Order: sequence, then C-alpha cells, then structure tokens
Amino acid sequence: MMADLPRHPLQLAAVVVVVAIAVCWMTRTPFGLLVPAAAAFAFAPRRVRPPLLGAFAVAFAGSILAATLYGGELRELAWSWAGLFAAALSIGAVVATKASASPADEQQFAALSRGERAAKSGSPLANDAPSGTRRSLSRIHPDDLPAAEQAAARAFWTGVPQIMRYRQRQEDGSYRWTESRSDPDHRASVQIDELETTREEATTSASSQEKDADAIQAARVIESLFGNAWAFDAAGQWIYLPLFAQTTLGLTPDELNRSVAEGDVAWARLLHPDEHDDVAAHWRRCLATGEPYNGEFRIRRATGIYAWARSAARPIRDDQQRITGWYGTSIDIDVYRKTVEALRGRERELSQLIDMVPGHVWRLTAEGEPSFFNKRMIDFLGLDVADVDAPGTSRLSAVIAAIVHPDDAAELAGALSRCLAAGTAFAMRYRLRRVDGVYRWVSGRAEPLRDQDGHVVQWYGLCHDIDDHVKFEAALRQSERHLQQMIDAIPTLVWAATPEGEPSYLNKRLGEYVGLTLGDLDAPESTRLQAAIRNSVHPDDAAAVRSALAHSFGTGETFAMRYRHRRSDGSYRWVNGRAEPLRDQGGRIIQWYGVIFDIDDDVRMQDELRRTQERLAVSSQAAGLAELSASIAHEVNQPLAAVVANSHACQRWLTADPPNLERAQKTVERIIRDANSAADVVSRIRALFKRTSEAKGCAALGGVVAEARDLIAEEAARHRVGIDIDVEGDLPLVTLDRVQIQQVLINLMRNGIEAMEGVAGERSLSVRVRRIRDLAQTEIRDRGRGVEFPDRIFEPFFTTKEDGMGMGLAICRSIVESHGGRLWAEDNGAAGATFIFTLPVEAKAAP
Amino acid sequence: MREGEHVVFVVDDDARIREALGELLASHGIEASTFGSARAYIEAPKPDVPACLVLDVELPDINGLDLQRQIADGDHPPIVFITGHGDIPSSVRAIKHGALDFLTKPFSEADLMAAIHAALALDRATRSARAELGVLKQRYLDLTPRERDVLPLVVSGLLNKQAAAELGISEVTLQIHRRNVMQKMAAASLADLVRIAERLEIPITRSRRQGGNAT
Repeated sequence: MMADLPRHPLQLAAVVVVVAIAVCWMTRTPFGLLVPAAAAFAFAPRRVRPPLLGAFAVAFAGSILAATLYGGELRELAWSWAGLFAAALSIGAVVATKASASPADEQQFAALSRGERAAKSGSPLANDAPSGTRRSLSRIHPDDLPAAEQAAARAFWTGVPQIMRYRQRQEDGSYRWTESRSDPDHRASVQIDELETTREEATTSASSQEKDADAIQAARVIESLFGNAWAFDAAGQWIYLPLFAQTTLGLTPDELNRSVAEGDVAWARLLHPDEHDDVAAHWRRCLATGEPYNGEFRIRRATGIYAWARSAARPIRDDQQRITGWYGTSIDIDVYRKTVEALRGRERELSQLIDMVPGHVWRLTAEGEPSFFNKRMIDFLGLDVADVDAPGTSRLSAVIAAIVHPDDAAELAGALSRCLAAGTAFAMRYRLRRVDGVYRWVSGRAEPLRDQDGHVVQWYGLCHDIDDHVKFEAALRQSERHLQQMIDAIPTLVWAATPEGEPSYLNKRLGEYVGLTLGDLDAPESTRLQAAIRNSVHPDDAAAVRSALAHSFGTGETFAMRYRHRRSDGSYRWVNGRAEPLRDQGGRIIQWYGVIFDIDDDVRMQDELRRTQERLAVSSQAAGLAELSASIAHEVNQPLAAVVANSHACQRWLTADPPNLERAQKTVERIIRDANSAADVVSRIRALFKRTSEAKGCAALGGVVAEARDLIAEEAARHRVGIDIDVEGDLPLVTLDRVQIQQVLINLMRNGIEAMEGVAGERSLSVRVRRIRDLAQTEIRDRGRGVEFPDRIFEPFFTTKEDGMGMGLAICRSIVESHGGRLWAEDNGAAGATFIFTLPVEAKAAP
Repeated sequence: MREGEHVVFVVDDDARIREALGELLASHGIEASTFGSARAYIEAPKPDVPACLVLDVELPDINGLDLQRQIADGDHPPIVFITGHGDIPSSVRAIKHGALDFLTKPFSEADLMAAIHAALALDRATRSARAELGVLKQRYLDLTPRERDVLPLVVSGLLNKQAAAELGISEVTLQIHRRNVMQKMAAASLADLVRIAERLEIPITRSRRQGGNAT
C-alpha cells in the first residue's frame, strides 16, 4: 500500500487531496476527509501528532454536543461529522501506537519494501576524520541529524560503540537508510556492549509539566553536548529521559517513576544491588538539601548487564531560590572503568610476573646505581636496594660488598664497570650471599635499555640460582677426574675404539707402555688401527691379531688373544688382549673397550716352571736311582763288610803259629752266612725290580710273621718294645714271596718301633693276622705318634724321618700290590697308627 | 797305666759287623769291646787304658756323628768312623771334628788296622801328655799365693826390681819368692819355667819396657 506513496511531500499532498475529493464525491459524505487526516498522522512529524489528535478529539466532542443540542437535519449532519472525527481519531491512535511501538520495524519494513538493503556501514559517525564527520553528518537526513549528533557525542565522551540507523542523502538527492556503527579511534582493549541509537527525539514523562520546562531545557542543552541528559522534577521524579536511553534501559520514565510510588528513589530499578543503598541515600540527601549530585555507579541495561556510568545532577531554582527541578547527565564510563581495571590487572600481573619469575630481576640506573630488586631477590638477599646505603660509597659498591662473595666481588665490580662504560651486555657467574649467610652460585646477566638516541636509560638484569647446577657440575667434574685417575691408575692397559675399530682412547699406562699417543697413530695412508698393530704388535703375531680384530669388529664378538706386544723400550712382552663392545639399547655397538694384561712374567714363569718340572722329573728319576743304589749298596755292604773282616780274621787265624783252626772254622761259617745274606739282598732287589713272582710259593702267613718277629726281636728289645703276635688259628696258606713279605713285615714293624721312640707309656707293637672273606689281613698296630699323612707316606721319597730315604713304604706297597693285595695306614687317634695289608687267600689252597 | 795294654771299642748296630770286627781284632791280638748302640757305649764302664773307638755312622739311636759331638768335650779315645754309604759331607764333618779316619764298608784290613794302630798311638801320647800336665798342675797348686803372683811377672821377662815394684815388695823378697818358684816348679832355668808356664797356660801380661839383665 505504502509502496505507492510518492516520496515528495507535495506529491503526497496532491495525491491525498485528489483521493479525498474523490471519496467525498463518491460517498456524498465528508468521510473522504479521513484520507488527509490519515496521511497527516502517518507522515507528519511525531511532535505534530498529539495536537492533531487533540484537535480531532475536540471536534469529535463538539459534534456530539451539537447532535444532542440540535435536532432535525442538523442533528443528522452532526452525527456524521462525529463519526468522521471518531474514525480519524481511531486512525490517529492506531498510527501513533504503531509508530511508537516499532519504529525500527517500520523503517526496516520501509527500507525492505523499497527494495533497499539495510547497509551496515563501518564508517563512523563521529570519530572519523573531521572532514569525514562533517561530510557524513551533512548528508544525514535533517530529521535524523539530532539523534546522529547526539550519538556521535556519546561515542566521543564514552568510547562506547554507537549503532544507529539514519537516512543518508545519495548523490542523486534521494535518501537511503543506512545503519552505522561508530567505534572509538583507540580500539578499547576491553569488551564493551554496543549502544543502539534511534533517531527519535527525546521524550518527557507523563508527569512533566510546564513548570519543568527549565530543567528539561537544561537537559536538552547538556544532551546536545554529551549525547545524553535527563531531568527530574523537584520531587525526584523523571520528567525527561532521551528515547535512546529508554531503549537502552528498556524502561520508560513512567515505569521508572513507579519506584517513587513504591517509596524508593526514581533510580531504583537501574541500580546495581551493591550500590543501591549508597546511591539512593546520596540522592535523597541531594534532593533534600539541593546539593549537587556526583556519583559513579552501575546502571542496568535492558540486556540485563550493568554498565558503569558517571552521573551528575544539578538543581534548577526559581526566583525564590526554590528548587523547581533537576537536570543532569550520565556518561557511560564503562570503557574507562574496564580499561582502567584491565590496566590495573595487567600491571598487577606484570608485577606478579616480575616477582614470581624464578630468578632475581634487578635494575640499575644508567650510572650503574641499583634502583630495583624484585621480591624474590629481596627475599633471597634479605635486603632491599636501599638497605645497604652507606655514606661515602656508591650504592653499587655497597651492594656488591654486602651480597657478593668476597672472592668474586672484585671481578664482578670490574666486569660490571667495564660493561657500564662500554654499554655492552654483562654476563658472569658469581656467588651471592643468601639471607642465611650461605653463598650460592648464580648466573647474572644484564642488558642496557636505550632511548631513541642510543643513550643508555636503564640497565635490566637477571640472575638465577645455578648453585645446584654448579655443584652438580663440580661433582660431575670430580667424578670424571676420579674416573680418569682410576682408569689411568689401574694397573691395566685400557683402550677404546670406535664401532669401526679405530682406536679412540689409550689410557695413560698404555700410552707409557707403548710409548705412543693417539696422535702418533695418525698416519696419512693407513688407519689408526693399522698403525697401532704395526707399531705395537710383534711382527710374527701381527697378521693373527689383525685378522682376529677384524673378525671381532665385523661380527661384534669378543676379542681375546695372547700375543707379543712391543713396549716403549723396544722389547716384546707377552700380553693377553681382550675387547668387548658396548652396545646401546638397540644392540648397536657404540664403542669397543679393550684391556691388555701384561702376562709376560706369567708366561715366562710358566715356561720356567715347566722346565723346572721337567728337570725335576729327570733329577727325581736320577735321585731315585741314586737313593736306590745307595740303599742297595748299604744292604749289600753290610754283609760284605762282615765277610771281608771275617775273611781277614780267618786268614790271620790260619797263618798264626800255631794256626787257630777252631776260630778259623768259625769265621768261615760266618763268611758263608754273610755272603749268602748279601746274595739274598741282591736277589730280592732283582725280584723287586723285575716284579716277578718266581719266588712265590705257598706259605703259612703265621710262620712268615714269626720269622720276621725273630729277625726284629733284637732291635725291638733294644728299643724296649714288646711285640705281641696274634694269628688266627685256621688261617689258610697264602701264595707269597717269603723274602718280600718278610721285608714288608720287618719294614712295617721297624716303623712301628721307631714311631714309639721317645713316647711315654706302654711300648707295644701288636701284629694281628686274620681272615676276612677271601683275604688274609695283617695289621701292625703301634702306640706311637700316629701318622700325619696317611696317604702321602706311601709315595716314593716321602719321609718323616730325619735321615729316612722315603723308599721303605713305597717298596712295601709295591710288594703287596704285586701280590694282589693292598697296603694302607689308619690312624688310631691317640694311640698311634695301624698299618694294614691284605693278601689274597688261595681258594684251592691245601692245608 | 800299664804299657802295652789297650782296648778297641766297636759300636755298630749290625751284629754281623760287630762279630767280624771282634774276630779280626782278636786275630791281631787286640782286645775288642763291642756295643750295638751309642747309648750302650756311653753307659758302659771303660778301662783306663789307651783306646780307640770304631764307630758306625748309622746307628739306630744316636747318629755316630752326633755321638762324636756329644763326647767331644770330655776325654775320649780317637774315633775311626766306618759307614755303609759314606758321603762326602759326613766324612768332612767327621774329620773336622777330630776323627782319625773315615772308612767306607767294606774296608780293607790294612786300612782298618793302620787306623786303629794310629789311634791307639795317638791316645797313648795324649794320655802321657795329659799325665805330665797333671804333674805340672799339681806343682803349680803347691805354690803359695804370693809365689803364684810372682810367677807371671817373672816369666813375662820383668826385671826383679820392676816385679818388686809391681807387687810393692822389696827386691830381696822378690828374689826369695823367685827362687822358691823355680824350685817348686822343678824348673832348671828361667827358659824352662817359661815353657812350663806356657803349658799351664799362664798368661804373660807384662813386658819389660827398659833393658837390663833379667837374671
């Protein structure tokens, strides 16, 4: 419908008049006049509507009155005019309500119905360049201009982004609806809700009257300046509140004034609960006393959020100085407050950052005077910058003297002064005195801050505690040194090689041993390994060592080899070389470690030992033969000496005058006896060596034992030893060599007798013969000192006697074993030793 | 002590050797006394006649060489060692300790008898010397204490007056003592007295410092 409306007021008026006359003519009633009335309501400025409605109402009332007073045709006419005015009033009311309820919808609708897009323009209303602003404002439709100007003022004063829609004149002179948003030039770093501005004029409250005009007038002046203002009557009720404010707050002045009826101040619905009481009390006091109101508080917006505002109100007084009303303004300081808070927060954070950063932050003036320590530093040192000030000395010197370790102070002062003079960055490690007196290592750094001209303005320094690190480093160095010393000190030659086998380390001992350093192995056309082998391995062993090492390095197998190693003095010594790879978690070889043991002395000693053993074996045989021959000689010489002596005696008896035949006869008998004895010895010995059993025959063991006892009886008597023989009665015959077994018996009995030499108590030798199964067992038991080495005594040349030969028992055992028996010794504990030998009993032996 | 009487002790653990040696010595008309062990020899009473000890090195109780060492302090007859297997160290040791001979079995009759005769002659000479020294010792014991003081001074060659001054007596008194000493010691001359003093092992502690006639 409205799409057909012409744009120009004159065209509109012409169309309205034509339509009105046409309707009147067609209906023959004045109802056609409703068209211009409706047009007036729809298109006239807002402020025209109330008087127009009033005029229609008065005309309506006049028509009703005329209809009741007059009669007839006039009455009919009056009724029709009353209906006309009633219809006009209705249209006016409908249009007014619709316009005030949703002007935006209407505008939107209007814009859309014209097919124009509501453009969101980024170009600001107020804060663009001044020329832009003027141009922008100059092109705004005159009706929208006041609102736009006020929005611009608000944007300027508050920094709150303003959004408004207005008509903008185009190049062709037509107006287009435009939505504009204006932001402050300095984009606030805080989050701010935008304010929407409408072009409608400010409105007064229902209660506003003529007498309030002064306050409202004052408010309008301020509004034109700040973009926002309001007015109260003397009682504190709203009488003027700009529409934009009403929109923002979502409340009309009348709604706000309802709080007054409820006994609260007119601000009540807007105040934040936290500030309500203070603001209300303050406001009441101002109302009562007339003192100007100034305050900052949060105001609730229609969106439900509270925004900070700075409000001021001043009373208006009449000629009698009575307060007739109040006017004032609220400037949105939300941006300011939030910005300040943000800045404060940031400053606090910065300050916390400086205090909490895990290090000591400090500042020097351009001259080098300390001017700031952060909290950590103050806590650490237990003093602040100014605490050590002393007359006659600079603050820097005083601080250094107070906090730096005496050993580091001079160096630190020197380094710092050099940096201060040259303007170069400072970096040093030194010890700082902690509040408890402990010095801790810190790493200090400082850099200058320069102005535009390059002059140093400040020095900013940071030092952090590296004491643990330094101590750890020192411990590590110590440990490394210790390890190095150990590696160098251990009496072993140690080397390391890369995974490829290139020598990478020689310990000190190895270096000294071979007289080479790692560097000596670097040769132009050979690897270190080749050089090492060439220089230090015996030429005869070099090839084997080279191939063994190549095998190990190739396969990762342990290297172990004995070879000759060249020493620094040029001599070759036998060594035992070993190497093992060190592998990482993945099994890859990281390094080879090797040791070389000098075993030359061992090798030589072993050789020597072997040679000695060989010599010993030879000499043992020789000694055995010599001893044996000596023994044989003694055995034979004894009877031989007797024979010779007897022979001479015999000769002398025979050659005597007269010859003593009787004695000669006696000596000859002795000669025969002793010669036979010598022959016996010789044959026995031959038998022993031949190990023949030719001489064996069946014999009763008891008889053999008795003979042996007779042979040794004299010796036993001389030693005062009693010999006790116990032979089992029905002992079978035993095959034996009588002489040999007698020799064994005599030997064992003599041993027993000698063992009891010098022993206190009863000296008795007990010989017992009995049968055990198919063995004849002979025991010779003495009461002597016992046997210390029951096993070894049978070894040849083992003797416990001072002049013994060590052959007796060995020969005895040899004899017994040649008879198929065994010979052993048992210790009787406290009562001497028992020598036992067995001989096999002939099963078929005859009695 | 009767001339011509002597005895040979035989110590050997082998009865056959003892028998044979006893027979051999008997055939030479020498009395033999045989022992089977060193202990038996030590314990046996021995006649005071020139003697000889024929000692076996290998004895059952005490080694012959040890026996030699044990009896070395006292008066004992010269020793002739016999051994079954003589080794050089043993023989050297035996000879060094005064053994007359060291014979290895079997030994010849001549060697043994020569050694025994030499041993008996030696023992006889030793015994006679020991007897003569006994007489001299007895004479020395008969001297008065003052005479025993004078003797060493005189044999030292001091002049009478020097010796008198030494003892704090007059020269005349000293001459009297000196004459008595000469008489009691049966010395024919001063030289004889000096020889006697030497055998008695009287120390000559002084020497004459100035010339002069000793007599």
